[in-house]
Amino acid sequence: MSQVKQHPPASPSALNRRAALKLLGSGLALTLSSCGRPHEEIVPYVEMPEGLVPGVPMKFATTLALAGYGRGALAISVDGRPIKIEGNPRHPASLGATDVFAEAEIMSLYDPDRAKAPRTKDDVVTWDAFAQALFAQMQQEKARHGAGLRIVTGRITSPTLLRQINALLTQYPEARWYSYEPISDDAAFDGSMLAYGRRLAALPRLADAAVVLSLDADPLGAGPRQIADARAFSQRRTRQAQPFLRLYTVEPEWTLTGANSDHRLALHPDLIRNFALAVTAQMQGENAPDLPDPVAHFAKICADDLKANKSKALVLVGRRQPPELHALGHWLNAQLNAPVDFIAPADGNPLGDAQALQTLSRDLDDGRVETLAIVGANPVYDTPADLGLAHKIGKVAFSVHLGLHENETADQCSWRLPMSHTLESWSDLRAFDGTASIVQPLILPLYDSRQAHDLLGLMAGTIAPSAYDLVRQTWQAQRSGGDFDTWWKQTLHDGVVANSAAARVATGAPKRPDVKPAQAARGLSLLLGADPSVWDGRFANNAWLQECPHPFTKEVWGHGIYLSPGDARRLNIADRETIEVWHDSASLRAPARVREGQADGVIAVELGYGRTRAGAIGNGIGVNAYPLRTTASPWLISDVSLRGTGEIRNVPLLQHNFDLEGDGKDLYPVLTLAELAQGKQPPDHDYENRPTLYAKVNYDSYAWAMVIDTSLCIGCNACVVACQAENNVPVIGPEEVAMGRDMHWLRVDRYVPDPERPPGFQPVPCMHCEQAPCEPVCPVAASVHDGEGLNAQVYNRCIGTRFCQSNCPYKVRRFNWFGYADGQEYADLGADSVRASHNPDVTVRGRGVMEKCTYCIQRINRARHHAEIVDQPIPDGAVVTACQAACPTRAITFGNRNSKASAITALRREPHHYALLGHLGTRPRTTYLARLRNPNPAMQEKAQA
Amino acid sequence: MSLQAEPPEIERWTEPPGRSYLAISELVAAPLLERRQWRWRAWWIAFGIASGLTLIMAICMSWLFATGVGIFGNNTTIVWGLPIADYVWWIGIGNAGTLISSMLLLMRQRWRASINRFAEAMTLFAATIAGLFPIMHLGRPEYFYWLLPYPNTMVVWPQWRSALIWDFWAISSYILFSILFWYVGLIPDLATLRDRAKTAFPRSFYGALALGWRGSARHWYFYEHYHLTMACLAVPLVVSLHSVVGMDFAASLMPGWQESIFPPYFVVGAMYSGFAMVVLLTALVRWGFNLQPLITAEHFNVMAKIMLAASIIMGLSYLTEWFAAWYHGERAERWLVGFEFTGGYAPVYWCMLLFNCIVPQLFWFVRIRCSIVAVVVIAILINVGMWLERIEIVWNTLSHDFLPSMWRIFIPTFWDWALLFSSLGFFGFLYLLLARIFPMVSMHETRRLIYEESHQ
Amino acid sequence: MPQLFSPVANTIARVVLIATLVVPFLALGAGYALMRSEYITGRSITTEQPVPFSHAHHVGQDGIDCRYCHTSVEKAAFAGIPPTHTCMTCHSQLFTNVAMLAPIRQSLAEHKPIHWNRVYRLPDYVYFDHSVHVNNGIGCSTCHGEVQTMPLIRQAVPLTMHWCLDCHRDPTRYLRPKDQIFNMSWSPPPDQAERGKRLLIEYHIDTEHLTDCSRCHR
Repeated sequence: MSQVKQHPPASPSALNRRAALKLLGSGLALTLSSCGRPHEEIVPYVEMPEGLVPGVPMKFATTLALAGYGRGALAISVDGRPIKIEGNPRHPASLGATDVFAEAEIMSLYDPDRAKAPRTKDDVVTWDAFAQALFAQMQQEKARHGAGLRIVTGRITSPTLLRQINALLTQYPEARWYSYEPISDDAAFDGSMLAYGRRLAALPRLADAAVVLSLDADPLGAGPRQIADARAFSQRRTRQAQPFLRLYTVEPEWTLTGANSDHRLALHPDLIRNFALAVTAQMQGENAPDLPDPVAHFAKICADDLKANKSKALVLVGRRQPPELHALGHWLNAQLNAPVDFIAPADGNPLGDAQALQTLSRDLDDGRVETLAIVGANPVYDTPADLGLAHKIGKVAFSVHLGLHENETADQCSWRLPMSHTLESWSDLRAFDGTASIVQPLILPLYDSRQAHDLLGLMAGTIAPSAYDLVRQTWQAQRSGGDFDTWWKQTLHDGVVANSAAARVATGAPKRPDVKPAQAARGLSLLLGADPSVWDGRFANNAWLQECPHPFTKEVWGHGIYLSPGDARRLNIADRETIEVWHDSASLRAPARVREGQADGVIAVELGYGRTRAGAIGNGIGVNAYPLRTTASPWLISDVSLRGTGEIRNVPLLQHNFDLEGDGKDLYPVLTLAELAQGKQPPDHDYENRPTLYAKVNYDSYAWAMVIDTSLCIGCNACVVACQAENNVPVIGPEEVAMGRDMHWLRVDRYVPDPERPPGFQPVPCMHCEQAPCEPVCPVAASVHDGEGLNAQVYNRCIGTRFCQSNCPYKVRRFNWFGYADGQEYADLGADSVRASHNPDVTVRGRGVMEKCTYCIQRINRARHHAEIVDQPIPDGAVVTACQAACPTRAITFGNRNSKASAITALRREPHHYALLGHLGTRPRTTYLARLRNPNPAMQEKAQA
Repeated sequence: MSLQAEPPEIERWTEPPGRSYLAISELVAAPLLERRQWRWRAWWIAFGIASGLTLIMAICMSWLFATGVGIFGNNTTIVWGLPIADYVWWIGIGNAGTLISSMLLLMRQRWRASINRFAEAMTLFAATIAGLFPIMHLGRPEYFYWLLPYPNTMVVWPQWRSALIWDFWAISSYILFSILFWYVGLIPDLATLRDRAKTAFPRSFYGALALGWRGSARHWYFYEHYHLTMACLAVPLVVSLHSVVGMDFAASLMPGWQESIFPPYFVVGAMYSGFAMVVLLTALVRWGFNLQPLITAEHFNVMAKIMLAASIIMGLSYLTEWFAAWYHGERAERWLVGFEFTGGYAPVYWCMLLFNCIVPQLFWFVRIRCSIVAVVVIAILINVGMWLERIEIVWNTLSHDFLPSMWRIFIPTFWDWALLFSSLGFFGFLYLLLARIFPMVSMHETRRLIYEESHQ
Repeated sequence: MPQLFSPVANTIARVVLIATLVVPFLALGAGYALMRSEYITGRSITTEQPVPFSHAHHVGQDGIDCRYCHTSVEKAAFAGIPPTHTCMTCHSQLFTNVAMLAPIRQSLAEHKPIHWNRVYRLPDYVYFDHSVHVNNGIGCSTCHGEVQTMPLIRQAVPLTMHWCLDCHRDPTRYLRPKDQIFNMSWSPPPDQAERGKRLLIEYHIDTEHLTDCSRCHR
C-alpha cells in the first residue's frame, strides 16, 4: 500500500506537483458562466509523475515531530496534496495510530497565517539578500572564532541536524548552541543523575506491568510517548488480559491517566513526596511520615499491592515532580525489579533546558551575543519570565528567527525567515526510544520557505547541499557496505531506519536519595501544565486543535483556571466567574472552572494560550501563564493570590452537562472484573431480542457495524480530529460554539458514573440505527437507509427541516447553520490554502443542510469498488474508518457483522457488550463494551468501613 | 361542552338601533361607501404602525435568506426554535374563524351571525402567515417545493411517512378551503354594496366580485346548500388540520412529544387561542365601526364561557401529560416533567400554567364575563399563554432528552423576537386593508338574525 | 339602472375560473418539459476546445484505443485526460508545425498545462467511478455515444439522475461481455435480454442495492 516516493526538489515531477497545487484553485473549481450551465475545466499534467493515478489516494511514510521527538506517520496524498495523516505501524512511537497533534499537522501545513517570505523589520526581502547579510556577519564571527554566535533551538533529535550543529561548533569553537523545551523533562534527567550518576531516559514497559503507581505522571496524556504507552496500557486492560493491570494514581489535578486509573487520590503536589515516602516506608517496614488517615491508608494499600507484584510492579513519577522524587522512583523500581529500561537520551542537549536558558540570558546580559539564530523556537513567548529574554533578544544586533509563523520572537528579530513545514521537508528524527526515521516531503514548499538544514548550511558558509543530500550523507556515513540506494528506498518505504533504537543501558543499583518530607504549603499554589490541545503554545494557530474539546471540561477556544470545590467555597468563587491570580508582578485573568477531584490548596492552569502573534486563529485566545513561571520552579508557583471579579462569562463548551441525575448506570455502565465474573451484564445487553412491531429487516450483503470499547478509550480526542480531517468537517469558531453549536461528527462524552469513581469517556459517532428515528420524519427522503445498514444522509436532497436531529435520541447530527465550509468560514479559514486540505472524496457541505457521521462511506466505497473490480468479497479489515485508524488504544473496531469470522462479530458476543439506549428499539449498529475496572478489594473494604 | 347550551328563547343578540334591515346595511356599508363622511383617523394610525412592522418583517426575511437560518438562537441540540412555535400559534388562531362559522352554524348558535365574517378573515390571514414560518425555518428555503409531489428528472418524491408532508397538505388545503368559504359567504354582501354604491368604481369593483348575484330564489337555494355543505366539511377539516400539527410532534420518539393525547389536545388548544383572538378582534371591530347594536356584551359572555370550557380541557391535558410521563416509566420522560417545573425554562412554564389554566377561571363569575374590558384582558393573557405553551413544547423536549451530555439551553436572538412581533404587524396590515374594502359583518346573516329574533 | 357589465363579462368570469384550475397544472408540465430539454441537460451541445481534438480522426480513422489516452479508466474513478506528453509522443513526429497544434507545443515548451473544457459534467455530490463500470460490463459508448464519429466531443446522453437510475434499476439491457467494453460501435444483439441476465450473474451485480443513495452520493 505505502509506496516509495523520493525526489530531489528540483526534479520535473516535483514541479508538476507544485503545478498541480497551483492549479488546484482553478482546476476543478466551478465558475458560473452566463448561460446558467456551470462551466468546468479539466487541467491535466504536462507530464504525469510516474506512479500517480489522478484522484487516487497514495500513502507515503514520513515522520512528524512533537517536542523534538519523532512519530512515524503515513501521509495520504491525493493529486500531490497531503490531506490526511495516519499512523505508521512500523514506527514504535506510532504503532499505526496517531494523536491529535499528528492529525492536525495537515491544518498547520495549509494554515493561511504561515510566514510566506523572508522579511526584515520593515520589508520583504529575498533569501539571497539574507544570505549576503549572513555571510558578512559570519565573516566577523570567524574573526572572533564565533564568540558572538549563539544558536537557540527546541529539542533536536535529528542526527543530520545534530551533525550540522556540531560541525558548525567545531568551525566556530567559541560559538554556543542552546536547546530547550518549555514542557521540560529536566527533573526526570536530573533524577537519573541523582540515582545513577548519569543522564538517562527511562522507558517503563507498561505492557509487562500488573500494578502501576503513578505519582503525578501522565503516560496516557498528550506527549511524544502517549501512543506507545497508551497502547501498552490497553493491552493490559482488555477482558482477556492476564493479568489485568491495576492502576493507582496520585495527582494534584485530573490527568487522562488519573481518569483511567482504578484508584485515584487527589493530593497537593508538595504532599506527593510525603506520599511516596509513606509508600517507601511501608515497603521497607520503616516508620512513615504522618499523613491524613485516608492518604496513609491509600499509601499502605499501594505499597502492599506493589510489593505483592514484584517484577510486575511499576512506579512512575511525573515531569512536574522534583528530581529527588524521580530518584526515589528509580530506587523503588529497583527494589521492585520493575519492568523499566534505560537508554541514553536521544537529544544532544547536555545542559538541560533550564541551564541552557540561564546561560543564554547571562550571555545576553554580558552583551556577548552578536549573532543570534533562533531555529523553530519561540523563546520570547515560552521562556520563564524571570529570565526576561523577551527584552534581551530584541537588543541583539544581528538576530535571525526561522519559524512556521512570524511569532512573538520573530517580532524581536532583525531577520524573520519562513520555515518549511515538516510535510515540505527532508530530514530525519529519533523517537523517544531512539528509533530513527526519515522525514520526507509530501509536497514542495507552498511558500518561499527553507528548513533548519538550509539555514545551518548557509551559516556554515559552504555551498550548502540540499537537505535531501545532507540526510542521505548522514545515513550513508553510518552504513558500511551494502547497496545504499536499495536500503534508502526500503527505509523511506518503511518509514523507520531498521533496528536504530537506542541500546538499553545496563545501570548499576541506584543510590537511595535522601528525601525530606515536605511541609504542607500554607497559601494557594498555582500548578502549570502542558495543554492537551495546543501543547506549549506552538499549535495555538491550528483551528482544528483550538476547537478540539478539553478532555475534562470540554472547553474549546481557550482554557480556565481550575479550582477544587473546597477552595471555590472557601474563596467564594463561582464556576465560570472571571478570577484574577497574581504572584509578584505577574497576573492572570481567566474564568475559574470548579472541578471535582482537584486537590485542595492548588489551582491549575494550562500553558500555551494568550498568544499575541500566533495568527488569526490563536491570537488572544486564553491567557498566557508563562509570565508567572520561574526557572527555579517551572511547574509550581506557591503563595499566589486570587481574587474573584464577580463577572460570570459564557465559556464555549461542547458538553454542557456532566451530571447524570444518577442514571449513568444505564448510559455508561461500569463493571468490575469481579462483577463480570459473577455474570453481571450491562443493561441493554440483549437489546436485539426485544419485542418489536416492525418487520425484521434482513441485510443480506454486508452489515457494517462498529464496536467501541469504553474501557480502552482514554479520552485523547485523536479520533475527533481524525474524523474532522477525513470528512472535511468545518471549524465554526468560539462565537458559534458559545451559542451551543458544533460540527464534530464524532464527540467524546465525558461521564461521571458516580462521584467516588473517576470519570469515563464514551465516543459517540452516528449509531446507524437499523430502526433509525431520523428516517421516517424526513419529508424529502434525505435521510435514508441503504442495503448495508448505513444510515445515509443525502446532502444534496436535504432542505434543512432538522426534524431528523430533533428526533435523534443520540443527537449525533450536525447542521450547517451558516456556510461554515462554504462562504461563511470562521476567520481566515476560507483561504484557498485551507480549501486545499479538503478530502476530494467527501462532499464539502453547504449552508442549510444536515450532516453526520457516515462510517467513512468514502472508504467503504473505495473498498467495494476494488472488490467489484477483482470480483472478490470485501475482506474483514479492508475498511478502516478514520477514527478507528487514529485510536492509540484500538478501542474502535469496525467491520461486517454478517461475517462470522470478523473481529466485530467476536466483540459483539462479549459479555459486557451493550447498545446505548438500546431499550428504545432503535437497534443501533454502533455498540459498546462496558467499562471494566479492577479495583483493589482492600480499598473497597475501607470505603465501606 | 358549553357549545350545546341553547340560549334562552327571549335572548336577543342585537340592540334596538340595529333592529331593521336598513339600519344594518347603513351600519355596515356606510364606512365603505360614504368614505368622506366617515372618520378614518384611528384607522390611519393603526395602519401606519402595522405597515412599519410589516416593513420590519420584510427586513427580517431578507436578512434571513441572505445570511442563513443561523441568525436564530437554535443550536445543535435545540434545532427547532421560535418559528416553529410561532407557526403552531398562528395556525391555532387560524382555527377559530372556521369553527365559529361552521361548528356554531351546525349547532344553530344564531349569535355567530354578527361575528363570523371578521372571524373568517382572521382565519384566512392567520393561516397564511402561519404557512410562512415553516418555510422561513428551513435551512434551504429555496427548495421548499420539494415537499410537493411534482414530476422531476431526479425521479424522487416526497417521503410520505413524514408528518411534515401531512402538515404541508393540511395547511395548503385548509387555506384553500378558508378562501372559498369566506369568499362565497361574502357574495350576497358584495351585491348589496354594488347596489348601494353611488360612484362608478366601487360599483364595478364590487359588481365584478359579486359574480352577478341577484339574490334570486335560485341563487339563495344554491347558496344555502353550498354553505351548509362547506360547513359540514369544515369541522372535520379543522380537526384534522390541528391533529396533524399535533402529529408533527407526536409522530416522534422524543420524551414529551411521543404522546397519543397530542392531536385532540392541539385541536382544543387551537380553538382556545383562536377564540381569545376573536374576542380581541370583536372588541376592536365593535369599537372601530360603532357596531354596538350588532355586537353586544352577550357575545363576549358566551365566548368567555367557551374559553372557560377550553381552559379546563387544557388543564386536564396537562395533567394527562404528567400522569403519562410517570406511568410510562421511561427515565427521560420523568426527567422531562421535573425539568419543566424546575429547569432552565421553569418561569416560562409557570407563566404558561397561570395564563392558560388559572386566570381564565375568573370566567366563572358572570360580572367578569359581561365586562368587556376584563374579557379582553384575559383573552390577551390567554394568547400569550398559548404562545408560551407552544415554545415550551419545542424547548423542553429538545433541551432535555435522552443523553444528558447533549442537554443545552435555548437563548432567543433579536431576530427570533423581531420576526414574531413583526408577524403580528403583518397580520394587522392585512386585516386593516380588508376592513377598508370589505364589510366586516355579514349583512345578509344579521338580517336573517333579526328576522328570526322578531318572529320567534 | 343601466347594465353594469357587458355580456362578455360572463365569458371573462368563466375563463378566469377555469384558468385558476388549469394554469397551475400547465405550469407544472411546462417546467418538467424544460428540465428535460437539451437546454438544461446540455445533451448534444458541442463544446469548443482550446485544441479542436477530433475523436473522429484519432479513434475513427487511426483506431487508437481509448486507454491509450484515458489511462486510468480501468483502475480509477477518473478516466484520465492525457498529459501534454502523451500528445507529443506522436505529434513530435506528425504535423509538427500545424497551427492547430500550437497550444500543445506551447504547453510542453512553457510547461503550462492545457485547459480543456469539461463536456461530461456531473454535480460535485455525484461520485461516479469509471473503473467499476468498465470492469462490470458497461462499455464506453453506452454513455459517451459513438465518439469515433464526433469531430468535437459532445454530451451524448442527458446525464440526468433519471437517466442514471434507468440503468441502475435494470442494467441487463446495456451489459456487454468483457471483450466488447471498448468497442465503440457495439450494439445490443437481438437476444440481449437473455445475454444481459447471464452477464448480470457473471459480473455478480446485485441490482437490489444498485439504487441506494449511498452508491453515488456521499
